[in-house]
Amino acid sequence: MEVIELAIEVLKEAPWNVNQIDEAMMQRLRASIQKYGLVQNLVVRQIADGYEVLSGNQRLRLLREFKVTKVPCVIVSLEDGHARLLAQVMNHIHGDDDLGLRAELIREVMQVLPESEVLAVLPETLDGLKSMASLGQETVAGYLQNWQKAQAVRLRNLVFKLTQEQLQSVEKAIYQILPEARRQQGVSPNARSTALYLICKSFLDKENKP
Amino acid sequence: MVEICNDMVAITMCAGSVMVSTAPLQGDGRGSIPTSALYNLRIIPISREDAKKVIVRHHYSHTLPGGTKMCFGIMRNGKLLGVMVFGVGPFYGYKLVMGATPEDVVTLTRLWLSGELPKNSESKVLGIALRSLRKETSLKFVIAYSDPAFGHLGIIYQATNWLYTGFSTAMPLYDIGDGTLHHSRSLAQRLGSHSIRYLTQQGINAQIVPQQAKHRYIYFLDESWSSRLTVPILLYPKKECDAGGSH
Repeated sequence: MEVIELAIEVLKEAPWNVNQIDEAMMQRLRASIQKYGLVQNLVVRQIADGYEVLSGNQRLRLLREFKVTKVPCVIVSLEDGHARLLAQVMNHIHGDDDLGLRAELIREVMQVLPESEVLAVLPETLDGLKSMASLGQETVAGYLQNWQKAQAVRLRNLVFKLTQEQLQSVEKAIYQILPEARRQQGVSPNARSTALYLICKSFLDKENKP
Repeated sequence: MVEICNDMVAITMCAGSVMVSTAPLQGDGRGSIPTSALYNLRIIPISREDAKKVIVRHHYSHTLPGGTKMCFGIMRNGKLLGVMVFGVGPFYGYKLVMGATPEDVVTLTRLWLSGELPKNSESKVLGIALRSLRKETSLKFVIAYSDPAFGHLGIIYQATNWLYTGFSTAMPLYDIGDGTLHHSRSLAQRLGSHSIRYLTQQGINAQIVPQQAKHRYIYFLDESWSSRLTVPILLYPKKECDAGGSH
């Protein structure tokens, strides 16, 4: 396997590259290269007017942005079919992190590095990272006790399926009684539900009038 | 008083799309000396998102059902080697027990354990989960289904002393031509109804796809409720009586 430093001008993005990256992920890749440098060589093959990048097209864009002049590359000699296949292999053949082990590792990292540094290079949001780091930290008993408390205060749902016409009538009635519902809301945090309750109560009161 | 029958009877409850069963390789390929390894198993609460990642990848259904209520991970030496999910299950499941409400029951909707875990791990983790549910919640009973279409008999439920109540009535799935089979509940959520007449009126060509009934088991967390069971308790189905596997 030949590893050689090539001038960045001779490196060409593969026009058939299907791997896309959004700006948020690009920013993380940028931060990673700025922090750790280019730790993985690009994989290229020689073509008529230079070298086509099979693996590392996103990194190549960033290296251009960083005004890098020489790029370490692994050069392979492959026909079109195998070049495309290798690109797919490099993009898709990888293991999956065990969630438990990853949580432990993230906890270790977050103990020694500031949150902002971790977030700059990993795809998770702060909430996602905290949730992951907390994996295994809560007891089953505590979790179930909280679940039980939540069940006790949970507001109940009633789901109605309405046609457009029916919906308009229901919405109109709710809208009309909404100011009164807001005044009479009581413990319910949901004014529209209270409005529906008042409409039903009014109906029942009329029905049950002697 | 609950009558024990030798014959299986069809009960008019629906298993719906709750593909409740255990890992395809449950009982197979596990280590043969479980005792010490079983003591190292730990059950932890996990997020729905984490449970979904594992279930989609490893469980034979590759889906996490709607109505998920609680998710637990099974860990050994820091590795997450299993997931157990409880959810709402079939809408009328609570009616199996007289006087019960939907708040009294959860359904074990998914259980997957890695082949790395020793034999009897299912019973061990299920036992821990049921004891915790009994101790920390006001739930009265748990329902589980085993899908004979995948060769499952519900051996772990038998091993942990659940009551067998025969086959649930198979809930059909719906094909609306979008390449996915839909459960009636998800179709009603998406389109407002799963009524074939209504869907046809709306120009949707919906077809009913019959499904096989599932073995249904019930476990009483509150023993005093067991006398309220509205269906007979049957003998456990056995492998020799069934063309399926040993699950």
